[in-house]
Amino acid sequence: MRIKIKKSVYLIVFTLIITSLSACEGDQQNTGAAPEALRGGSRLSELLGGDSSAGFARAIEPREFVFPRDHGPHTRYRNEWWYVTGNLDGPERERFGFELTFFRFSLAPDTPSEFDSAWQTNQVYIAHFAITDVTGKSFHVAQRYARGGAGLAGAQASPFKVWLDDWSIAESAPRPGSTHWNLHAEDAGFSLDLDLVALKRPVLNGRDGLSQKSAEAGNASYYYSLTRLQSDGSVRLGEKNYAVTGLSWLDREWGSSALSSGQRGWDWFALQLSDGSELMFYNIRRNDNSADSHSAGTWIDPEGVTSYLRPEDVSIVVTDSWDSPRGGTYPAGWIIDIPGRDLSLAVQPVLSDQELLTTVRYWEGAVDVDGSRGEQDFTGRGYVELTGYASE
Amino acid sequence: MGGQQILNGTTHEVRVSNLTRSYQEGKQQHHVLRGLNIDVARGESIALRGRSGSGKSTLLNLISGIDVPDAGSVEVAGQDITGMSERDRTLFRRRHIGFVYQAFNLVPTLSVGDNVRLVLELNDFDRIAAQRRTRELLGAVHLADRIDSYPDVLSGGEQQRVAIARALAHKPSVLLADEPTGNLDDRTAEDVLQLLDVMVRQAGGTMIIATHSATVASRADRILDLHNGLLSS
Amino acid sequence: MNPILIRASVGYLLRHPWQLALALLGISIGVAVMVSVDLANQSSRKAFIASMNAVNGDATHQIVAGPGGIDEALYVHLRVAEGIRSIAPIVAGNVRISNRTMQLLGVDVFAERAFRSFSSPASSPPGNSEGSGQSSEDAVRRFLAGDGSVLMSARTATELDLAANEPFILEANGKSYPARLAGSPQGGQEGQLDNLLVADIAAAQHWLGLTGKLSRIDVKISEGDNKLASRLRSLLPDGTELLSAAGRTQTTADMSDAFMTNLFAMSLLALLVGIFLIYNSVSFAVLQRRELIGVLRALGVTRRQVFGLILTEAAIIGLIGAAVGVFAGVWLGEKLVVLVSRTVSDHYFVANVTRLSVDSFSVAKGFLAGLLATLVAAAIPAAEASAYQPRLTLSRSTLEARAGGLLPKLAWGGLGLMLVAGLTLTVSGNHLTAGLVALFMLIFGFALCIPLVVHFLSVSFEPLAGRWGGTAARLAVSSVSKSLSRTGVAVVALSIAVSATIGVSIMVESFRLSVSDWLNTTLQSDVYVGVPRGSLDRQLLADLVAVPGIIEHSTSRRSWLEDQGGRTQIIAIQMAPGSYRGTKIRDGRPEDVWQLFDNGQGVLISDAYAYRSQLGRGDSLQLNTSDGMIEFTVAAVYQSYDSNNGAIMMSRGTYDRYFDDPVIDSIGLYLEPGTDVDDIMTKLREVGRGRQSLIMNSNARIRDISLQIFDRTFVITNVLYWLAVGVAVIGIFGAMLALQLERARDYGILRAIGMTPAQTGMLVSAQTGCIGILSGIAAIPLGLMMAWVLIEVINRRAFGWEIDFTVPPAVLLWALLLAVGAALLAGIYPAWSAAHTRPALAMRDE
Repeated sequence: MRIKIKKSVYLIVFTLIITSLSACEGDQQNTGAAPEALRGGSRLSELLGGDSSAGFARAIEPREFVFPRDHGPHTRYRNEWWYVTGNLDGPERERFGFELTFFRFSLAPDTPSEFDSAWQTNQVYIAHFAITDVTGKSFHVAQRYARGGAGLAGAQASPFKVWLDDWSIAESAPRPGSTHWNLHAEDAGFSLDLDLVALKRPVLNGRDGLSQKSAEAGNASYYYSLTRLQSDGSVRLGEKNYAVTGLSWLDREWGSSALSSGQRGWDWFALQLSDGSELMFYNIRRNDNSADSHSAGTWIDPEGVTSYLRPEDVSIVVTDSWDSPRGGTYPAGWIIDIPGRDLSLAVQPVLSDQELLTTVRYWEGAVDVDGSRGEQDFTGRGYVELTGYASE
Repeated sequence: MGGQQILNGTTHEVRVSNLTRSYQEGKQQHHVLRGLNIDVARGESIALRGRSGSGKSTLLNLISGIDVPDAGSVEVAGQDITGMSERDRTLFRRRHIGFVYQAFNLVPTLSVGDNVRLVLELNDFDRIAAQRRTRELLGAVHLADRIDSYPDVLSGGEQQRVAIARALAHKPSVLLADEPTGNLDDRTAEDVLQLLDVMVRQAGGTMIIATHSATVASRADRILDLHNGLLSS
Repeated sequence: MNPILIRASVGYLLRHPWQLALALLGISIGVAVMVSVDLANQSSRKAFIASMNAVNGDATHQIVAGPGGIDEALYVHLRVAEGIRSIAPIVAGNVRISNRTMQLLGVDVFAERAFRSFSSPASSPPGNSEGSGQSSEDAVRRFLAGDGSVLMSARTATELDLAANEPFILEANGKSYPARLAGSPQGGQEGQLDNLLVADIAAAQHWLGLTGKLSRIDVKISEGDNKLASRLRSLLPDGTELLSAAGRTQTTADMSDAFMTNLFAMSLLALLVGIFLIYNSVSFAVLQRRELIGVLRALGVTRRQVFGLILTEAAIIGLIGAAVGVFAGVWLGEKLVVLVSRTVSDHYFVANVTRLSVDSFSVAKGFLAGLLATLVAAAIPAAEASAYQPRLTLSRSTLEARAGGLLPKLAWGGLGLMLVAGLTLTVSGNHLTAGLVALFMLIFGFALCIPLVVHFLSVSFEPLAGRWGGTAARLAVSSVSKSLSRTGVAVVALSIAVSATIGVSIMVESFRLSVSDWLNTTLQSDVYVGVPRGSLDRQLLADLVAVPGIIEHSTSRRSWLEDQGGRTQIIAIQMAPGSYRGTKIRDGRPEDVWQLFDNGQGVLISDAYAYRSQLGRGDSLQLNTSDGMIEFTVAAVYQSYDSNNGAIMMSRGTYDRYFDDPVIDSIGLYLEPGTDVDDIMTKLREVGRGRQSLIMNSNARIRDISLQIFDRTFVITNVLYWLAVGVAVIGIFGAMLALQLERARDYGILRAIGMTPAQTGMLVSAQTGCIGILSGIAAIPLGLMMAWVLIEVINRRAFGWEIDFTVPPAVLLWALLLAVGAALLAGIYPAWSAAHTRPALAMRDE
């Protein structure tokens, strides 16, 4: 979803407003605008104002990450997200997965100042919230959007907070040296309240946090993760409340680039293993379904020491597939081998249908891991994101 | 050509020469008068006799200027009225003609007195003179007590007596009477004829009565028989 | 019904095409006027409600606050802290583009989705259609990026001659801003979104000077969800209310109810006059055939059949007339709707009517009313006809005598009806419809007395006429009373129409005089300066009043308070020493009242407000202020013709204490004696140049403008009573023509005994003239009565106005002239026709 969302943000903003415009041309014309915007990257860059990132800051050089400053927004970059996923257990062996994502988006490089109004802004926020009820075999999704003005949505570094309406992740008890946040999201019929405590320091992905997405300079993002967040709180489904505990994962990324034209989508894995290590790997798929050379990953050992993974370091074999009733076939089981580390992981979705029917359709779901390093067996849990499979 | 000239003196009151009148009835041209010549001397009393449709009423209407002939002329009191405008003919009629009808033809919305007075006023009598003359005339026709009554409460004979008073009010040169007794019983008719005798003949007035009654005709100085639009002796 | 009888009827009607045509015309015009006014009313109202609904979208409720608006933080709080999502912020106000006033709706597109169809992505699923949306995309970017992009309907754009993406100047709050046409809002029926500008909420706040404020919050509450409403209410601060959106629209629409009811009542007048016309035509048709009917009865036709025959004839006339009337009504409605919507827009709400909406209910109502009126009007002569004895020929004088005998009975009935009307007036409180019903009973009751009055007048004038103009004059006068069975109804119709002109004219003249006096009193300042629908800049205000030659100034602010019961106008005034005498206190000593007013111990209420609320000096009223409900004491009632919904006047100090609204809309300037007004205005304009565009008027000019608007309001009233007079003229014409037909023989006799054609024509004209004069005289008392009821009852109940009753003699004279003129006009053809009677022919048939 991470790359695709750039499109989807525009898509949502435009479908929101374009449909309200007929631009004196009538219905047929304007309904054409949105799908056109969706279709190709080149079209998208036109949308963004010809030279796509003109005026925006770009991710070219590695940067120094400073916290908590970098938990906050980077509005000079065109897009940014706070992406939390996690696996939770209820008191009676109930099992849940969740996703709460905030996308930030700059419509223009500069904040407009023509109007004396708190509503004036170039910032747009979109948020996705999903809960997977593994026990009940059901999946719940909600989507929201708001302007980043007047206090309706926004992000700030200190004290940390990102929010859209009443959905938020916010610093709860600022204690020096610890990351302790509250997460709240709620929609008709389901809600989530979690206390998040980081068990590891931020992990810089890519090369010192610069994640190159294609050969072109600047076609990259800054990318760090909090790979192990102790999570305690409650899940509500319908009338029922469950006290839950588990682990969450935060992905943070910002940049100004769009998908390259030859890239179709990607498979992203964020796996937390029972031995205290984590694996993140994204496989960018080219139009011919081959792996792009810019696919990459990070290995985090129990002490938080990281290693950069190149595509040739990792082999992924799809073992199963799932046909979405909405169209399209998703992979639904993988064997991931990292020969260099003698590592083999079998990854299996906890529920087949974890497809988000948001403006752009994608699959993002909780998974189980069975693995072995040499003779030693272990288990794990995680989240997988699959984009570019849905037939539009 | 033409009918008989009975009197050819200069003292004629009415002279009808070569009078022709026809009506369009549907597609048919109906010739009522076909070149009629009549002279009536002043003071003379004439009875016009003929069957219904013989042209009696038409002739009287032409003489009074109510109707206009197709050809020929009508001279009354020395004036040829055939060439006159509608207005002049009306003014002439108002001055010189008195008319009594079979159907009385009183103005229903005017009282008996007003019916008489209207004619006087039309002839420029001042109010007092008109009032006096009205009383006088109604006295003469024995209806002085009905002066304020309206015509429709009067009997036929009474109405005709009012009509006679009205016809004579302005002392016309000629009195024309069209079947004056046609709607009356014999007795009443006799009274009316008596009245005409007294008020017209004995006063030296000229009178033309159209009638189909021999009794009525017998009182006239002269009887003219009208047949097919011409006089027959 | 026997077909042969019907054939006889049709044959008769066709042989008297004039009578037939006039009867049709009478009913048609009556129906047309009724239908047209109804349609014009409904269209104006519907146009308003439809455009409000289009603008409100799916909002079921709205959160509104006092004059200061809503703090935007409330909205953010509801959304972010309370998680309430079915709400959308709105900043609304009026702006001008090329001198056209338009409503600006500032929206947050992200919140719009749930409310207005034109922002819903659901209406445009990502799909399959081709085409470039480049210009739209650019527009979208600007919409949020803040270059002043707005949406307006394609038609409005065309009318303003704006192309897509074209920049233009938008004037708001007296200042000019660059704006750009980004496109058109989708959805909304034709015209509903005309005059509407949609912009981003940030732009709207900036332009309207409403930074930090919202005009309202739209709320969508699903049916049956009582929890959200009560939760919202518990969260709203003082002075803020949750109201039903439909209710607000309705309340606003209802403000025009009294006006529309009055208009509709006026339209019924034409139908009422039309009823008399039908009665006239049908009874004449019966009278003319009295012998035929006698023969039919002798041949064995039953009474019921005769009654049915006449009623069938009437029904046919009614059907055709009503049908024609409906079509004519739609046509006329298209003309009237312009007048109605203009007046409604002047006084109540913006009714942007683009075309007449032909409501089938209005049409059916008009059609049925026309048909029913015809049948009712025909029932009496039909009953009369069925009562004819077989073979008995009734003489004219018998008929007249019978009619004459009826006169006192009618008059008694009429008096009784008027008494009932009076009773209704006294017991109906301030119910408007009851007042109008009473007015109609009064008119009808008096109408029943008119024949007797006319008879009496005609009989008493007859000798006088005889003495003055001779027997011919007497004949003219007496023929009026002698033929009342024919002319009576025409006289009544004319009397009613003329009395309506008297009543309405006196009402309007009295009203105008009162307004004009009030304007003279109330316009105490020499020059008034304001910002069109905006707030006068404080620094500019200070600079303006510092112009040499200005000695004093007052300030004023008009704002609206809204609650469940509707909207109340508040006028906050900072008085100058010279301002006090500009307000006429109805009750109480001015010195005492002003002391209370200035000390904030009391407010003043206008006449209309006092009438509506039944409050007076010493009473108290509650207002929803920024501090919640506060009780205010009424210091006095003051005279005002400003707003028919009434207003509450308070000192600026009081206003500032209770309302968070520093706006000043206008100031009144007092000049040094001898200062040239034009000169000062030039200087003031100089001060305002480049800062705020100001509306500046001398008091004389304001007076003129006010009276112009006043006059415009009554244009439609004039149109309606002229239509009633038109129907009456047709009535007189028909009656005279009928009379002419009956009298042909009489005219023949008169011509035979020496009346010239001119004299005969004059006689007929004199008759119609008499009808005119007598109708006019009879109309005067009714007219005065109507004026009194209109002023003291109808206007009071409808609008709460206090109008001084003034009878300008010219109105009475004018009414007489109108009556005579109308009658003479109607008599022209009959007179001509009588003059051209050919006596020989006229007397021949018998």
